[in-house]
Amino acid sequence: MKRKSLGFYFRIYRKILAQDLKSKMSYRADFIISTIGMIFTNVAGFISFWILFQNFPSINGWGYYEMLFLYGFSLIALTPVQCFFDNNWNLRMRVYSGDFIKYCFRPINLFFYFQSEVFDIKGIGQFLFGLGTLIYSWNMLGLGFSALMLLKMIVFLISASLVMIALQNAAASACFWMQNSFFVLDFINKMKDYAKYPVTIFSSIFRFIFTFVIPIAFIAYYPSLVILRPDEVPLLSWLSPIVALVFFFLSYKLWMFGAMKYNGTGA
Amino acid sequence: MNIKRCFTLTRAGIIESLQFRLSTLVVVAGNLLYLVVIYHLWQAIFASVDTDVVNGMTFSDTLIYLVLATALFNFMEMYVVWEIGRRVQSGEIALDLLKPMKYRSFLFWSYSGTAVTQFFFTFLPTFIVVTIVTNGAIPLGWNLLYFVISVVFAVSINYSIDFITGTICLYTESIWGINMMKPVIVLLLSGATIPIAFFPEPFKTIVQYLPFQSIYNAPLSVLLDGNPEPAKLLTTLGIQLFWCVLMNIVSRVFWKISLRQITVNGG
Repeated sequence: MKRKSLGFYFRIYRKILAQDLKSKMSYRADFIISTIGMIFTNVAGFISFWILFQNFPSINGWGYYEMLFLYGFSLIALTPVQCFFDNNWNLRMRVYSGDFIKYCFRPINLFFYFQSEVFDIKGIGQFLFGLGTLIYSWNMLGLGFSALMLLKMIVFLISASLVMIALQNAAASACFWMQNSFFVLDFINKMKDYAKYPVTIFSSIFRFIFTFVIPIAFIAYYPSLVILRPDEVPLLSWLSPIVALVFFFLSYKLWMFGAMKYNGTGA
Repeated sequence: MNIKRCFTLTRAGIIESLQFRLSTLVVVAGNLLYLVVIYHLWQAIFASVDTDVVNGMTFSDTLIYLVLATALFNFMEMYVVWEIGRRVQSGEIALDLLKPMKYRSFLFWSYSGTAVTQFFFTFLPTFIVVTIVTNGAIPLGWNLLYFVISVVFAVSINYSIDFITGTICLYTESIWGINMMKPVIVLLLSGATIPIAFFPEPFKTIVQYLPFQSIYNAPLSVLLDGNPEPAKLLTTLGIQLFWCVLMNIVSRVFWKISLRQITVNGG
């Protein structure tokens, strides 16, 4: 099979996206309620921080606005996985029912085609809320602003998103090997809620686990240090784009390996 | 209503949930990791103040409170909203309504089996571990009996709230958003995310007047109080009973009114 160019995939994504949005538009109430639900969840997270800091001055040397910065950063970093990779949640059902076979017969990348099918518009509410929180805390911390900082921010946000995407891909691909794999995906999904805490609060064993095994520390903590505390950036922060790429590549390979192993439900 | 009918459903539920042993294992692993996270988080939080007691709660009080709240959540959460929503979308609800049993009780009893297994496999082990680890911070006496009574009320209130939320799905035909909102609101307002003792003033009073605090805060405060004043204990249980009856009536009436809303495609 000839390799398709990136432009080809981009064009095709736009077409699939347009169809998906059209079908979504017929459920307008669902979209509105889901967006409200998403914003509610984020506001609740915000309120818990607020209540905490009414009672305590800091968490392990991290002040209120610094924690908000981490929170906002993690919300933005978690948006792409919500918007572009939401079909992972359906993978289990597709594989179970046998519908998955349809994706195998297209002359385009299997992973791409599967993920392109769903664009989850709900993530936009989360993105805006995260952006608001980030800008607010950025302002309150008086971090200043320059083009370089913006560039850094974008690079590190993208790498943070890649880590979460990688985690979700790997978790979703569990369904190629086991039945009832919902709990694996749900487990990883719960883990992402812990990304908003600085990893330094954990003991060394769990710091290791959250850095290298379930790398949620790369979703907010390591990448945001580059902006938040530019004087004491650890090496792992600078490495986070590379780490993200490696994790993403591995998860993609795992997903594809599972998909290639898949041989339908028969009949 | 025939009580034997109900217990048959419970038994079926127990057998069904015992089929998925691996998923139980993943849930237990997830809980343990959650415990680790909140242990470290609150340790870091309490390390930031000089005193041991904040708002009348010590570190171990807070930990017991939050850990048991999570354990209670795991065993009370019946995913009723998902179930109702799915059945409405697929149209299977029509079959359930034909059953010789009220849908509200049918659903409750068919999920009660899962609750029973969850109680023995997640709540009880957690409780025992916490009792041993905190070494006597949980008083063991009559309060255990009051705790059990309180939990029975809590289960009932929680189910009524779930059922009301599920009924809303009949109108919106959207499940995801509502499902997303419900646990977040309940957990925050019931004190399972942050103990109610930490809430700043106007909120604390408002929350006391809402039904949610009867779900987690009431049983846990009954449990942690070794020598309760009879008046205080009776007020707590009385308020629970009040909400229990009120929410029960509201959920029944709301369901009855909403039944007219159901539209099932085809047939």
